[in-house]
Amino acid sequence: METNNQALESKYHSKLTGDTALVVGMLTLLICAEGFIIYRILSETWEIASSFFYLYVIFIGLIILIETIGCLKVRESIKTHMFEFKYYD
Amino acid sequence: MSEYESTSLVKTLRPFHVWALGVGIVLVGEYMGWNFTIAKGGVLGSLLAMLVAGTMYVIISLCASELGSATKLAGGPYDWARLFIGPGAAASVGLAVYMEYIALEAADAIVVACIAQSIFPELQVFPVTLLVIALLTFINYRGVVAALTLNFVLTMIAFIAILAFFFSTAFGLVDIHPEYLFQGALPNGMIGLFAALQFGPWFYLGIEGAAMCAEECKHPSRAVPLGQQAGMITLLIGAAMTLYLCTVLIPTDLLGVSVYPLFEAAKNSGIFIFVALLGLGTFLTCVASANGCVCDSSRSWFALSRDNYVSSWFSAVHPKYNTPYRAVIFTMPVAIGFAFSGFLDQVITFSIISGLLCYVLIPFSLIRFRKLFPQTTSKVRPFVSPLQPYISYFAIAIAITILSTLFWGYKYNLIFAFVFYGIAYFYFSHRHKNSNIENNWAEMGWPLPKGLDNGRIKKEAKSIGDE
Repeated sequence: METNNQALESKYHSKLTGDTALVVGMLTLLICAEGFIIYRILSETWEIASSFFYLYVIFIGLIILIETIGCLKVRESIKTHMFEFKYYD
Repeated sequence: MSEYESTSLVKTLRPFHVWALGVGIVLVGEYMGWNFTIAKGGVLGSLLAMLVAGTMYVIISLCASELGSATKLAGGPYDWARLFIGPGAAASVGLAVYMEYIALEAADAIVVACIAQSIFPELQVFPVTLLVIALLTFINYRGVVAALTLNFVLTMIAFIAILAFFFSTAFGLVDIHPEYLFQGALPNGMIGLFAALQFGPWFYLGIEGAAMCAEECKHPSRAVPLGQQAGMITLLIGAAMTLYLCTVLIPTDLLGVSVYPLFEAAKNSGIFIFVALLGLGTFLTCVASANGCVCDSSRSWFALSRDNYVSSWFSAVHPKYNTPYRAVIFTMPVAIGFAFSGFLDQVITFSIISGLLCYVLIPFSLIRFRKLFPQTTSKVRPFVSPLQPYISYFAIAIAITILSTLFWGYKYNLIFAFVFYGIAYFYFSHRHKNSNIENNWAEMGWPLPKGLDNGRIKKEAKSIGDE
């Protein structure tokens, strides 16, 4: 019984790590892609965009901040409820 | 209650199905349609529209994750409005969701037929459109798992096509024209920055629909937040890559009026593999979008029917396939009617306005949910969205701002939509004022809501107490 529980717990933590890796990987890709694209576009159009570039900084900051906190909350929620709702059975 | 009506929806969906439903509906907007932001505001206007709309959708998807994983109901925004706002708002949102998706399905089916005709000129658009709608209706009739697994495959191919094209371009395998960025930076001046906002939702329109399969998920409290957030990140990545690829490969004046911008960008790259991949991606995203729209619009109609907002005849569930088959079949004549109305551009604008109405009412539903049920127990709120209610108020402000920009060029569509949903609101508020339909919180495993000074809630609470 002890072994079964340990195996189950290990399986759950491994699956949780899988979910976490998926989200972290996607967030990393998001930050790199958005950062690269905004840098390329603003650097090419700086003469025009320099007077209102802060709008882009504010909104990209908001997207990344809110999405990152949201993803952390998703992970926290899965971790809290994974045994209770038997997510990985 | 008949045998059919007592059968419930099958609970088999996993996070990747939620992702496939959400991204499948929306990714078509990155293959076409978003480029009208370029026509209005140039490259800088389009970039700002993408970021502003992206911020709103990140918040909406967090609200949908919390509400979907809490209520676990098929109606999505309709059910959230019904439970936490009232019958008038619920009917308006239910109809808005239905109209949003059914209009998109019609538009997608026509584009699929046009692409098929461009490949095989002997084909005619009318019968192929009918065939596409009929085929997707049949797939959804047979089962949600098959329909969404198909969506997963189609959407994944289309997304990989964008990724492959972007990385090849970023690593210098494709010759780009950075001068196009400056030449088309801001053709209409500062007013263009504001005007471009009206087409910003194209990048993400419909992602909230991912939460509408909550009732059919095996573990909705995991599948909905995980699938929805993964879907939202996918769309943000896809939107940014699409914008960059198209603006460095197509001159701005041509990009603003292009029908298939990503496909044209691939053609301008002159590399056959990308032309083939992006051509295939354009076709597949249209099929996936239409497929997801059948799924979501039928669930919205099913939920409206289940609560007697429309005929309860539509709320039957198939005993073998566990699908709301009458609601699914009913999408077919409506989609065909929209497709052959001859006013497709008006229909699509109506779809956007309907979506924006939902984006005002979804965060508002969450604010009401938080007020009525402040508990964060596993039963009531398994997923807690962060930074609430501040970000909900912010999303409402963005949605109203984007709605206001539609006044330029789409004044009559806007007025028509307000009149339509206004009538729906007052009609259903009046019809349900004296009806005995109450929210059975106990059946959902929830405590009684806070704030018994609210008349409607008090009535519901008493009804439950009486039982």
